[in-house]
Amino acid sequence: MAKEMSSRQIPGVVFQPRTSAGMLGGIDRLVAAIRPTLGPIHRNVLIEKESKLGLPELLDSGAIIARRIIQLPNRDEDMGAMYLRQMLWAMYESAGDGTASAALIFDRIYREGLRYVVTGGDAMRLREQLESAIPMILDQLAGMARMLEGKEQLARLAETICYEPELAGLLGEIFDIIGEFGRLDVRASQGRKMEPEYIEGMYWAGGMLSREMASDRASGRAELEECAILASDLEVTEPTAVIHCLETAAQAGAKSLLLIVRSVSERALSVLLMKPNQNALRVAAAKAPGDSSDDQREGLEDLSILTGARPLLQATGDSLSAVKTGDFGWARRAWADQYQFGISGGKGNPRRLRQHIAALRAALAHNDDLQARRRLRERIGKLLGGSALLKIGHPSPITLQARKELAERTAEAMRGAMHAGVLPGGGTALLACQSQLEEKAHEAQDPDERAAYRILAHAVEAPTRALLENAGEEPNRILRRLAEADRRCGYDVVRHRVVDMVEAGIVDSAAVVAEEAVRAIRGAALALTVDVLVHRSKPPLAFHTT
Amino acid sequence: MESRQSFAASTPIDCVLQFAAADAPDAEGRYACFAARASGLFRSQDYGQSWIPAYASLGASEPLPTSSVVLAPDFKRDRTVFAGLNGAILVSRDGGVEWQRGHLPSPLPAISALATSPNYEEDETVFAGTAEDGVLISQDSGRKWVAWNFGLLDLNILCLGVSPDFGLDETIFAGTESGLFRSTNGGRAWREVPLPMGFDPVLALAVSPRFARDGVLFAGTENNGLFVSADGGRAWQGLAATASVGPVNQVLIDAGGDRRRLMILLGGALIRSRDGGKTWQTCKEQVPGDCSITAALALDDAERSVLIGYEDGSIARFRAGRRQNRTRSTRGRRARA
Repeated sequence: MAKEMSSRQIPGVVFQPRTSAGMLGGIDRLVAAIRPTLGPIHRNVLIEKESKLGLPELLDSGAIIARRIIQLPNRDEDMGAMYLRQMLWAMYESAGDGTASAALIFDRIYREGLRYVVTGGDAMRLREQLESAIPMILDQLAGMARMLEGKEQLARLAETICYEPELAGLLGEIFDIIGEFGRLDVRASQGRKMEPEYIEGMYWAGGMLSREMASDRASGRAELEECAILASDLEVTEPTAVIHCLETAAQAGAKSLLLIVRSVSERALSVLLMKPNQNALRVAAAKAPGDSSDDQREGLEDLSILTGARPLLQATGDSLSAVKTGDFGWARRAWADQYQFGISGGKGNPRRLRQHIAALRAALAHNDDLQARRRLRERIGKLLGGSALLKIGHPSPITLQARKELAERTAEAMRGAMHAGVLPGGGTALLACQSQLEEKAHEAQDPDERAAYRILAHAVEAPTRALLENAGEEPNRILRRLAEADRRCGYDVVRHRVVDMVEAGIVDSAAVVAEEAVRAIRGAALALTVDVLVHRSKPPLAFHTT
Repeated sequence: MESRQSFAASTPIDCVLQFAAADAPDAEGRYACFAARASGLFRSQDYGQSWIPAYASLGASEPLPTSSVVLAPDFKRDRTVFAGLNGAILVSRDGGVEWQRGHLPSPLPAISALATSPNYEEDETVFAGTAEDGVLISQDSGRKWVAWNFGLLDLNILCLGVSPDFGLDETIFAGTESGLFRSTNGGRAWREVPLPMGFDPVLALAVSPRFARDGVLFAGTENNGLFVSADGGRAWQGLAATASVGPVNQVLIDAGGDRRRLMILLGGALIRSRDGGKTWQTCKEQVPGDCSITAALALDDAERSVLIGYEDGSIARFRAGRRQNRTRSTRGRRARA
C-alpha cells in the first residue's frame, strides 16, 4: 500500500526508503551533537542565542542540547531528530541524567535494526522481540545495584554525574542530611563561591498578610513561640469572627497565634492589628499555601497533621466564628515573612505524622505521573522537617547559569540513586548485560529474536565506547580487556586503568541506567516501525545547524 | 539485710532518674558518682556510699529537678559533668562543684536525656534529648546548643544511644515516644528505624561496646519488652521473655562486650540474663518488699558493685550481690539561699 501511494507522490507524505534514510540522518545529527559530552573527559557544546543581545549557552547535557535544536533544515531528518529529542526530554524530566547514554543506545538500536528490516526483517516482530528483552536487562541491573550510605558515597555519585568535585562534595553533604525526599533549592547568588545553608522546620509559600505584624521591622519577619495554629482556607471578612477566634485562642492558653487563611478583609485586619489585641495575644496572619484548590487542601492537611489542628475549610461550611479550642494546632515556633511562613516543633501526633508520610511514600511508589510525583515528593520533603539551600556564585553569567542547571540536574539524578541504589558506572553495568544477550542470541531459534538480542548486545556497549573515544582511548582494545574482567570492572578514563567501579567510587544511579535502557529500547523499537512521514504544508520556523 | 525506714519525700515524686559514674578513681583515689533525682543532682566521692547535693554552689532556694546526668568519657582528667533540667543544661568542669549554664535555643527545652561522644576529647560533642524539641547538639563542650532534627519525625526523645566508634561511624540512636530513629552523620539528620511491633515508646537503649564489629544494640520498649539487633539496627528480634511484663526502663550490658550478659529494669524490678536474653533471673540486688527500682548502674570496679535507685529517692549500693548501705538522707542537705 505504501509503495503504491509513493508512486503517485502525494505531496507532504514521505514513504520508504526515504522515511528511514531521513529519520536516520536526523537521529545521527542529533546524536553527533550529544556524543562529545559523555564521560568525565568530555567536550561542551556552545549554542548561539536567538536574540543578538543574549549570551551563547555553554551546555553539556544531552537533553538540553537536544532541546535547543528545534528544527533541522531537511524536514525528513527533522522528524527523526524531533522524535529522539522528545524522548530525551521526557527522560531528562523524569530522571535528570542519562540522556547522552540513552541517545547513543537508541542510535545503535535504530541503525542496526534498520539494517535488519531493510534486508527483509519484520519491523513489528523485531519491535516485539526488542521489548521482550527489557525485563531480562532490568533483572541483571537490579542484581548489581548497591545502596548508598554516607556523604562520601553520595559525593562520589554526584561526581560521576556532574564531574565537578566541589559541587559533588556539597551535594553529597546536602543529601546526606536532607535525604532522598528532602527539599533543595538551588539559587544563583552574588558571590563567587558555592555554599549550602540549612533551614530547620517546615515552610510553605504564603506570605504574611500585613507587614505590621512583623516583630522585626528590619527583616519584615514575625517570630512566634509556643503558638497556636489555625489552619484554614477561609476568607475572613467579619471583625466579630476574628474577635471570637482570638478569645478562643486565649481560652486555649495561647500566648501567640499563627492564623492561616485565604484572605483577610481590611476591617478584620484592623482588629488583628489593634494594640490591645496584639499585647494580649501576638498574632501573625499568613496566606494559606498553594495556588490551586488541590494544593491548598494538601497543604492544609499536612499542616494539620504536623500541628494537631483541625483544618477549617470553606467547602465544609466551617467559619472562624465557630472555632473551638480543640481546632487549634500547636507548635514550639512559627514564623512568617513577606513570602512564606514556617513551623518547627509541631505538636501533632508523631505516630499519625509517620503514618501520613508512609502513605505519601506509598502513593509516590505507585504513581507514574511526573507532576503528581513531584508534588508528592515536595510534600514528603516538607514534612521531614528541614530543607537546604545551595547558593551558587560565579563571575560569568553563562557559567553561573550552566552551574545552576548542572546542580539541579545532578540533584535530580541523585534522588533516583538514593531510592534505587547505584551501579558500576561508566556504562559498565549495561556492558555487563552483553554476555547474557549474546548467549540469548546464540540460543534463539527465531530469526527476529536472534536479531533483537544481537542488536541489543551491540547497543549496550555504545555508551562505554563513546566515553572511551571522548577520552582519547582506543575502544576496541579496552573492550577486549573488560570482556575478560569481572562484570563489576570498568575502565577509569582519568587514571587509565581497569578498576572495580563501585570500589573506585565511579557509579551511576540504578534508576537512571534502568530508565535509559528502557526508554532507548522502546523508543528505537517503535521508531523502526515508522514507514510513512507526513509533513505539514506550512513548516515551522527554521533553525540552521552548520 | 537492712530494714527499711519509712519517710516522707521532700517533693511529691522524688525518684532517682539516672546515675553516672567515673570509670576510674581520680588522683586522690576518689570514685565519683552522680545521681539525678527529682530533688536535684547529688554527688558521691566514694562510689555511692555517701551523697551530697551537687548544686550547692548555685545557691538555689528551690530544688532543681534533674532528669539526666552524664560525665565526659575521660572524667578522671577532664572532670566535666553535664546535667539536664527542665529549661537548662548545666555544665561543671570541676567534678560537679561549680556550674555554668549552656546556651539553649528559645523556647527553652526540657532535657530528657544526655550522651557524650566517645570521641569527646577531640570533637567536644555532646547530645541532649528533649521532651518537645528533638535532639540538641553541642560541639563546644556544652557551651552552645543547636537543634538538628532533619527527618526526626518525633521530637519527644526518651533516650539516646551513641556508637562507641562514633568518631568513625558517626552513628547515634534516639528512642522516642513513637519508636526509634538513627543518625549516621553525627546527629545532623535522622531516619526512622522500623521495629517489628510498629509504634511503641522506646524507653532505653544500650549499644554494644563492640558495635563496630558485632552491630549489637538493645532497645527497651514500654509495651513490648526488650528487642535486640545484631546488624546495627536494621533487623530486630524481640526477647519474648520480657514482652507484656512491663516497661523496660533501662538496659545494662556487659562492659567487656559479652552480649550474653545483660541486666534490665523491667516493670520496676532488676533482672539479669546470662544467655543473651533467653532466660532471666531476679537479681540478688532486688530485695523482696523493696519499692520499685527506677535506676541502676553497674560500677566498673573489681567487686562488681551496683548502684540502685528507688522510686522513693533512696539509693543503695550492692557489692557482689550484697547490699552495703542504703542512703535516704541526701534530701536534707540542700543549700539555702
